[in-house]
Amino acid sequence: MTSGAARVEDAIWHRIGDRVVVIRNDGRATHVLNKTAAFIWDICEDGCGIDEIAKQLCDRFDVSFEEAHADVREIIEELVRAGIMKQIKKTTGRAS
Amino acid sequence: MRTLFKPKQSKTYSNHALSIKMGSVSCALRCQDNEIYDKLQRLYHDFLTDEPTDVTIEMKPVNRLSPEDLSTALSTTRYKHKGNRIRTTSRIMRGQYDLARRTITITGERSLVDPNMESNHLNQLLTAAYYSACKIKYDSRPPAMLVHACGILRNGHALVFTGPSDAGKSTIARLCGERHGEVINDEMLLMSRPSPGGNSITIQSAPIIGDLLPGRNTAAPLRCILLLKQSNKTALHYLDKVAAHLRFMRQIISPVCIGQKDKRSVYSMIADFSAEVTGAIPVYELEFNLDEKSLWQITGELEGVQGREEWN
Repeated sequence: MTSGAARVEDAIWHRIGDRVVVIRNDGRATHVLNKTAAFIWDICEDGCGIDEIAKQLCDRFDVSFEEAHADVREIIEELVRAGIMKQIKKTTGRAS
Repeated sequence: MRTLFKPKQSKTYSNHALSIKMGSVSCALRCQDNEIYDKLQRLYHDFLTDEPTDVTIEMKPVNRLSPEDLSTALSTTRYKHKGNRIRTTSRIMRGQYDLARRTITITGERSLVDPNMESNHLNQLLTAAYYSACKIKYDSRPPAMLVHACGILRNGHALVFTGPSDAGKSTIARLCGERHGEVINDEMLLMSRPSPGGNSITIQSAPIIGDLLPGRNTAAPLRCILLLKQSNKTALHYLDKVAAHLRFMRQIISPVCIGQKDKRSVYSMIADFSAEVTGAIPVYELEFNLDEKSLWQITGELEGVQGREEWN
């Protein structure tokens, strides 16, 4: 098992250009996600492990795995604090 | 001498029921109070229709409170909802609905439905009736939403000025007069969704009371949306799509139909509509210092520029 993240179920969101606008609490809270956070949002629809997100980020952008991993962790912590994502435990899929 | 034959009456005016056209739906207001009925008939004259009714509101006015007591009661009133019944904590209004039979019955203080009274709730009543009719007719996806805005018809297109209360919508309507265009409504407008595959949005007048009474029932293609901001100058700024979406969303009237309990679906509908509209139509911030000349000058320049290049 590894840590990961998933979107909260009641968020309302729209993709506008390369950004994502997330609305919660009956419209009282709005969050605009930048390109990287929007990328993480996209792949966390059904929940995703941090390692997997970092790997996909490396495939998409010119960044090392370590750097991507640190960024993903930081962004997810921020999105969790904002109440639009939740931390989950995710199976790695690797044989033990 | 008895009259053997009743005079022939139009369906609209029969049985003290007025059928009012709101966009693509018809809402009937039924009221046995002759004086209120006559006032409503005059008020909504240009919106009366003979089309089949989508929802009927039976209004039963009662006189229990003085205007002063009603004003006090309104400030503390909370609406409660149980089953298919609605009541208020202050007992100024109670109602019940049966959407399968398309009927809403409201018993309430007479002033709440008297167009001449400041405390009238006709706008809220028609708003709820419109969205209830849409729920019945379109399965909760209204083809047009009500937007808190002043609409001006100019050169065959509608300009929509919107913004928070006191941002200047009624001032814009007053400065329009008859010289710069025609005021569609200075309080609320019906705005359609963008046409499939295109960016054509239609603005339609609504039977809503603002500083001005509802005018004629008219429709026009939307040219652009201007979000008002009071300032010491008049200036126009193009808003990027994210800012436009977030700011326009706040000006959409909550699509709450009678008996609506699911708040999330309401905000989802508002956000979806805002994203659709602002994705299709340019939105500008209009800094506005209440100066008539500069307002129409900058609006005219905007109309000239549109279609050739983006204003910035």
